[in-house]
Amino acid sequence: MGTLSKAARSMLLSELVTGMSVTLKAFFKPKATINYPYEKGVLSPRFRGEHALRRYPNGEERCIACKLCEATCPAEAITIEAEPRDDGSRRTTRYDIDMTKCIYCGLCEEACPVDAIVEGPNYEFATETREELMYNKDKLLANGDRWESVLARRLELDAPYR
Amino acid sequence: MVKVTVDGLPVEVPAGSSALQACEAAGKEIPRFCYHERLSVAGNCRMCLVEVSGGRKPVASCGFPIGEGMHIFTDTEVVRRARRAVMEFLLINHPLDCPICDQGGECDLQDQAFGYGADHSRYRENKRAVTDKYLGPLVKTVMTRCIQCTRCIRFSTEIAGVPELGGVSRGENLEITNYVEKALTSELSGNLIDICPVGALTSQPYAFTARSWELRRTDSIDVCDAVGTNIVMHARGAAVLRIVPRINDEVNEEWLSDKGRFVVDGFRRRRLDRPWGRVDGRLQPASWQDAFSTIATRLKNVPGERIGAIAGDMCDAESMMALKDLMETLGSSNIDCRQDGAKYDTSRRDFYTFNSGITGIEDADALLIVGTIPRQEAPVLNARIRKRFLAAGRGGFPIAMIGAPNADPTYAATVLGEGPDTLAKLAAGELPFADVLKNAKNPMVIVGHGALTRPDGQAIAKACWDLAVQVGAITAGWHGFNVLHTAASRVAGLDLGLVPGTGGRDVAGMLDGGVDVLWLLGADEFATDRIGPETFVIYQGHHGDAGAARADVILPGTLYAEKPGTYTNTEGRVQEAFRAIMPPGDAREDWRILRAFSEVAGRKLPYDTLEALRARMARANPVFGQPAWVRHGTTDTTAPQAGPVSVSSDPFRPVIADYYLTHAVCRASPTMETCSGIYVHPAIEAAE
Amino acid sequence: MADFFFHTTPGQLLLIVLETLAVLVPLLLGVAYLTLAERKVMAAMQLRKGPNVNGPFGVLQAFADAIKMLTKETVIPSGANRMLFLFAPFLTFSLAMVAWAVIPTGNGLAIANINVGVLYLLAISSLGVYGILIAGWASNSKYAFLGGLRSAAQMVSYEVSIGLVIVSVLLAVGSLNLNDIVLAQRNVWFCLPMFPMFIVFFISALAETNRAPFDLPEGESELVAGFFVEYSALAFGLFFLGEYANMFLMSGMVSILFLGGWLPPLGIAPFTWIPGPLWLIAKILFCLFVFIWVRATFPRYRYDQLMRLGWKVFLPFSLAWMVLSAGFLMVTGLLPGGAG
Repeated sequence: MGTLSKAARSMLLSELVTGMSVTLKAFFKPKATINYPYEKGVLSPRFRGEHALRRYPNGEERCIACKLCEATCPAEAITIEAEPRDDGSRRTTRYDIDMTKCIYCGLCEEACPVDAIVEGPNYEFATETREELMYNKDKLLANGDRWESVLARRLELDAPYR
Repeated sequence: MVKVTVDGLPVEVPAGSSALQACEAAGKEIPRFCYHERLSVAGNCRMCLVEVSGGRKPVASCGFPIGEGMHIFTDTEVVRRARRAVMEFLLINHPLDCPICDQGGECDLQDQAFGYGADHSRYRENKRAVTDKYLGPLVKTVMTRCIQCTRCIRFSTEIAGVPELGGVSRGENLEITNYVEKALTSELSGNLIDICPVGALTSQPYAFTARSWELRRTDSIDVCDAVGTNIVMHARGAAVLRIVPRINDEVNEEWLSDKGRFVVDGFRRRRLDRPWGRVDGRLQPASWQDAFSTIATRLKNVPGERIGAIAGDMCDAESMMALKDLMETLGSSNIDCRQDGAKYDTSRRDFYTFNSGITGIEDADALLIVGTIPRQEAPVLNARIRKRFLAAGRGGFPIAMIGAPNADPTYAATVLGEGPDTLAKLAAGELPFADVLKNAKNPMVIVGHGALTRPDGQAIAKACWDLAVQVGAITAGWHGFNVLHTAASRVAGLDLGLVPGTGGRDVAGMLDGGVDVLWLLGADEFATDRIGPETFVIYQGHHGDAGAARADVILPGTLYAEKPGTYTNTEGRVQEAFRAIMPPGDAREDWRILRAFSEVAGRKLPYDTLEALRARMARANPVFGQPAWVRHGTTDTTAPQAGPVSVSSDPFRPVIADYYLTHAVCRASPTMETCSGIYVHPAIEAAE
Repeated sequence: MADFFFHTTPGQLLLIVLETLAVLVPLLLGVAYLTLAERKVMAAMQLRKGPNVNGPFGVLQAFADAIKMLTKETVIPSGANRMLFLFAPFLTFSLAMVAWAVIPTGNGLAIANINVGVLYLLAISSLGVYGILIAGWASNSKYAFLGGLRSAAQMVSYEVSIGLVIVSVLLAVGSLNLNDIVLAQRNVWFCLPMFPMFIVFFISALAETNRAPFDLPEGESELVAGFFVEYSALAFGLFFLGEYANMFLMSGMVSILFLGGWLPPLGIAPFTWIPGPLWLIAKILFCLFVFIWVRATFPRYRYDQLMRLGWKVFLPFSLAWMVLSAGFLMVTGLLPGGAG
């Protein structure tokens, strides 16, 4: 392309027209955004949202205090303390996740040998204070009870790939 | 020396070594489960397979003796396949419960399965399950995890000397058991936990508490007895969670007594974490300022000879030095570190130390134990005696005891008698053991506090010394006179001169109103009820025990885990401990408390840093400046002073009534309480 | 009634007030909705939805913004020159309003149909640069100062080419009266014969109003917000209103000078059924749409490119065009006013 033709294109504003035609076409295209609080996007079964501690169907909590999640957590957001329960089984006395530290990488879920700690589909857990984001065991178990049906379904869907 | 080649690398090892030792010498790591350097070779795990030139199949290197010119291959395909096969067999019956296993993270099987394990199991049948055994309150068992390496059997039989564990049945059905539901009767049972390569034997008090990777490790020194066991404090956050031994072949090899290991849960209970002052007969919380000014006010117009100080059994040398300096500036020579009232001639260091050294036991060939039960007073040292006893073979290491007729020392010992008159008979050559001692090349005499804490202690010490000289135990190359201490702080206290000066009062003299102001530095092991009612008592220490209960002012001090400190063991070996955790609440390092008070009292001590204080210690006694302890002999056989009291004929009494409850920290520990209930009290009841 | 308005003094005053309100109220409403329109149009071009929470389709967003703006705290920097700091936004805003006095919305429908309307507009828009300079200087902030300097330089540069373009138009019309300029386009809008000048004028208008791609005075990424970085609340709102009112004004000038003002595209039915003011409004809205469209399309210019375009491209080009068109009109004898 010679200088002449370049100059001609410039003088005839073809670049400007091309650019503006792109935006004009986009103007009439369907929009990518959704009307969030009323519509919600589709989530993959692997979506990593708010944490939950699951229970077995008989109500026994799954967590066995192996501390692998605590060890693997790159943000060191998990704190676990354990001791033998009255029946001699290994249980946590404290299971805290600092959600302000958490980076939602999902390594805890991956490390868990009993599928106890999972990251659920819930991403709407904003709070008004930081303190509310310091999750303790009760909160996590409550999350697990609340989301259990969804969580089980997600694990089932993802099982072939794990 | 024999020359062998390991993977093409020529090495020289002593004749009689095993192939495994040759590989170690060549720097090759051989995986193993059953083999342990300090135990006999069992050769039953088969993990240490190597190929040897000329051999048609791999051999277990731990039990394979080497020959001149042998070629050993540790990393061939045959070896790797063999080890993988062994690992697969081991894992057949091993439950995959690592997530709930306390050994997880520090498990030999886990580590080696990482190298030799398959990623899946081919075993489809049911796994074996084994009933858990009761081994007492300290060792928790999950026997299904056991891989039958028999290390625990060999440990209890060989090291601990309590052959209470064994295997029943054969093949797949082999179970490790103690036959009856009975707690292990060893003061070294905690070492089973360390020695078990898997999670079959784990610590009961520490169960599920923490993971090995969470812990912060700090080197320290055990102060529950005077052996000076090297330990590592495993701490997380503000708490020490467990104590494990640190290898030091000169002192404890790799063992630790149960008290030193399990006392750890007493660290956080009954702690003094703020100053207290007695107001109208009741102890009230106070500030450091108030506490100091109360003491300073009380000290005003009290003449130096009416002030006294007693240092406890767990004190570090630094705080004792500061205490002594403080007393000196207050014009007092009433200072004592001997709560139990033991008598020593402190003019020479070898009059009150374990001169042969702990390693010296292995060179001794006859032993006389006077007035002590080493199994209770120094279990780790007792294991060394047993090691020597086993190594020497039947009759090779004759041992005789005077006192403690009913104690089981874990080795064959002739009880010669119960009191000092036996000692006199021995000196007179009336007993056959006198000849045994005389004929021995390196005879040893150990005199303990059962003898020394009597009023005639000094005379008995002199008698023992004379006997040692008589049998040729004290020569230029060998020093066979040994004092076995029970208090970790004692030797340092004597080295620093924490004994009454001229005209000064000892512990007994300070009681019953002997002084007006009494400063207790962690001292609880004496008759606190005999302190005069008018005596103003300052207790500086870490646990609310006998001393604190009587105190008028309590200054919260620190545990050995919470301060950097110097401890001198019974040998006179100076060892340093480091700070594992910070002290709780307002508690402060003990020497800093003394230093801070000295300023309030207007008698400022001349050191502001630990380094300056240590330099002061080195000036007070040069042993604190010398890093290494060396075994020594002496040609100066001048006997220690006999003291004013002549020998009585009373039998020696044991100094430890209850092994598990000897000091304030273990009295605060629930585990030690349980142990005392299980081990000591049934024994007392049975004896009655 | 007409008597009262045209012949009594209070009546005339009242008339002026009413006329002013008739222009200003729709103008301010337009400004308010221009902000919404801008966000909506830009969102659409970026495949977004834009504001849609306040009222149906977000129509109340403009009022929400206004309320927010009014209820915020007015922060006056301690180092600022208080009086000038507060004076600058009023100046900017009032100049943007004052210019509308001469814009004819129909044949003779202007608040002041004066013969020097074009000169008046030029003068007023030149004064606009004072508001910016004062704001930038009075803020006593380096960002604001740099923004003010840039803005002033840019406006001065582009005013030159705007002036020359207008001269070309004036040559063709022979009058400075905006009404006459519109009427001169009865046969053909000037955007056709003077297409290059139309483009130059439009681009210069973008630069004159500090719009993208010439929004360097604001330069969010380097100057935070340019000359009004220190402004908040009502003062900021006034700048904001002034800026958008200027966009309206420039769009109005483009419509009048090149797009035939209130004239319909063709002087035949059904175009003539629609009243002139509506045509003008439609043209202004179209221009504004192009303003936003340009903003959504092109990235910001570099400062040296901006200056090069102004001085080395537009100035010679419009100068040459002016000379050539003057010569052409001279030779063909089409020069109006019979000066030749």
